[in-house]
Amino acid sequence: MEAKHVTKNYPVSGNRTLTANQDVSLNMYRGRTLGLVGESGCGKSTFMRMVVSLETPTTGEILYHGKDITLFRGEELRLHRQNIQMVFQDPAAAFNPKMRVMDIICEPLLNFKRIKRREKEAVARKYLEMVELPGEFARRYPHRMSGGQRQRIGIARALALEPEILICDEATSALDVSVQKNIIALLVRLQQEKQIAMGFICHDVALVQSLAHELAVMYLGCIVEVLPGEKAATEAMHPYTRAMMSSIFHLQMDFEKPVGTLEGEVPSPVDAPPGCPFQNRCGQCLEICKRERPPLRVVAPGHQVACHLFTQQRREEK
Amino acid sequence: MLQIQNVSIAYGKNGSPAVDKVSLEMKQGEIVGIVGESGSGKTTLIRGVLGCLPRGATVSQGEIFFGGKSLLAYSKEEWRRLRGTEISIIFQDSGAMINPIRRIGSQYVEYMRTHVPMSPGDAWDKGVEMLERMGLPRGDRIMRSYPFQLSGGMRQRVGIAMAMTFQPKLLLADEPTSALDVSTQAQIVRQMLELREKYRTGILLVTHNLGVAAYMADKILVMKEGRVVDAGSREEILKNPSHEYTRNLLASVPTMGGERFV
Repeated sequence: MEAKHVTKNYPVSGNRTLTANQDVSLNMYRGRTLGLVGESGCGKSTFMRMVVSLETPTTGEILYHGKDITLFRGEELRLHRQNIQMVFQDPAAAFNPKMRVMDIICEPLLNFKRIKRREKEAVARKYLEMVELPGEFARRYPHRMSGGQRQRIGIARALALEPEILICDEATSALDVSVQKNIIALLVRLQQEKQIAMGFICHDVALVQSLAHELAVMYLGCIVEVLPGEKAATEAMHPYTRAMMSSIFHLQMDFEKPVGTLEGEVPSPVDAPPGCPFQNRCGQCLEICKRERPPLRVVAPGHQVACHLFTQQRREEK
Repeated sequence: MLQIQNVSIAYGKNGSPAVDKVSLEMKQGEIVGIVGESGSGKTTLIRGVLGCLPRGATVSQGEIFFGGKSLLAYSKEEWRRLRGTEISIIFQDSGAMINPIRRIGSQYVEYMRTHVPMSPGDAWDKGVEMLERMGLPRGDRIMRSYPFQLSGGMRQRVGIAMAMTFQPKLLLADEPTSALDVSTQAQIVRQMLELREKYRTGILLVTHNLGVAAYMADKILVMKEGRVVDAGSREEILKNPSHEYTRNLLASVPTMGGERFV
């Protein structure tokens, strides 16, 4: 899966445009996880919604096995949806409360006529086992389960169609830390068993870097940094990424030292000014940052940064 | 300042207690963190301290003392005088506690005037001053905004400003940063620590984020299924957790460069 120069604009009142995604190019590979982090409203979900064909990009293309999925229509699009499935943040809101667990899990299979109606309970039990839940749950209703159990049902439903790509939109944000850890372990195990490409949206950098092969950082609709997950803690370069990491509270931190904060607020994505999206909050803002938007540049294998600081430095070195 | 002695709170007449024999002592200017999973009774406990338990829930046992007096014996009128002035609360989403179709200013002025006799003009000026002190520049403009025009972090600051108006001795904070992004969370945490520096406010902080609790609190209580399973100073809890559950909880917090799943 390859997204190339995807831009999404929404029209807003007064003939203005809201730029939700600006020139986003990201790739997803079989058996690997792409983590997407950023603050709320930065466009993470918009991007993933385009990947699952719930939105269409204004410009740019999204290629799946070389075919542009943004051009799919009608029956072609319907059949394509089997390949990409999604797990939502709040499974309580994503399920019909009047459906039993087995109906929830098997609905996509019945829609695509993969199973017969009488096989439903047996199939549901198989998938419940896959997500480590007892088979008796098949006859329950979602309100009788805890958040973690419901999220497992969400995963079972999304994987029922054996998709090649799984998108998790804040799939663990509503859960307690200990439950969160178990769900992540489950997702990673299933990913490795089935070689699924996973897109994982989250605002918790510490969590994302623990399971992502590639980590993309988004700010105001732009990708500002892409780097390998295992290097995130040590080699992040973009001022925004670093600021975000320094404001995490963890248990080994020095409690006497004031925590790093980013001052100010994210600017409005409506009629965004030229230049770097992060200019007004960046401690190292240069003159050029106000005029030109920095492009993503490769600084190391698998590591790209969009910041004038590093292009500047390199010029000086030359 | 605040003493909770052996308190149990139950929903319904014969229901099992949501809070089971919890004791806690807090001094002026101290920050106490209560951590635990959802459903562990953290919120029920602090709502008990504020005397606003949901319908059907009652303190079935124990005593709560604030400034040496038993809160459970208070009349409605006494409660009204206490809340908002001596004890106040900030919620997870301060945006949800304010009326969405009224401007911030009109609600803020109304809140102040129900507690203290003052002219609308004075109340307005006081409001502007408080907002600016809580790190919201141009308080005047905030006062004239509707809640939806503000970001989550700004709304939370409005909530803190309102709660701090009368410099309460005790601030109850129910998941004050859980709905915020990491960078905004750090701003709000700093803001709350400043409150203690400047006004010697005691803060009873309820959160499921162990990192935040560890950073802010002097003492930490770990709750599970209504009971306190572990309690002690921050160092004790982090370094020598006595209960298996606390150890699990500590191990589940994701860390930069820490355990990896892939």
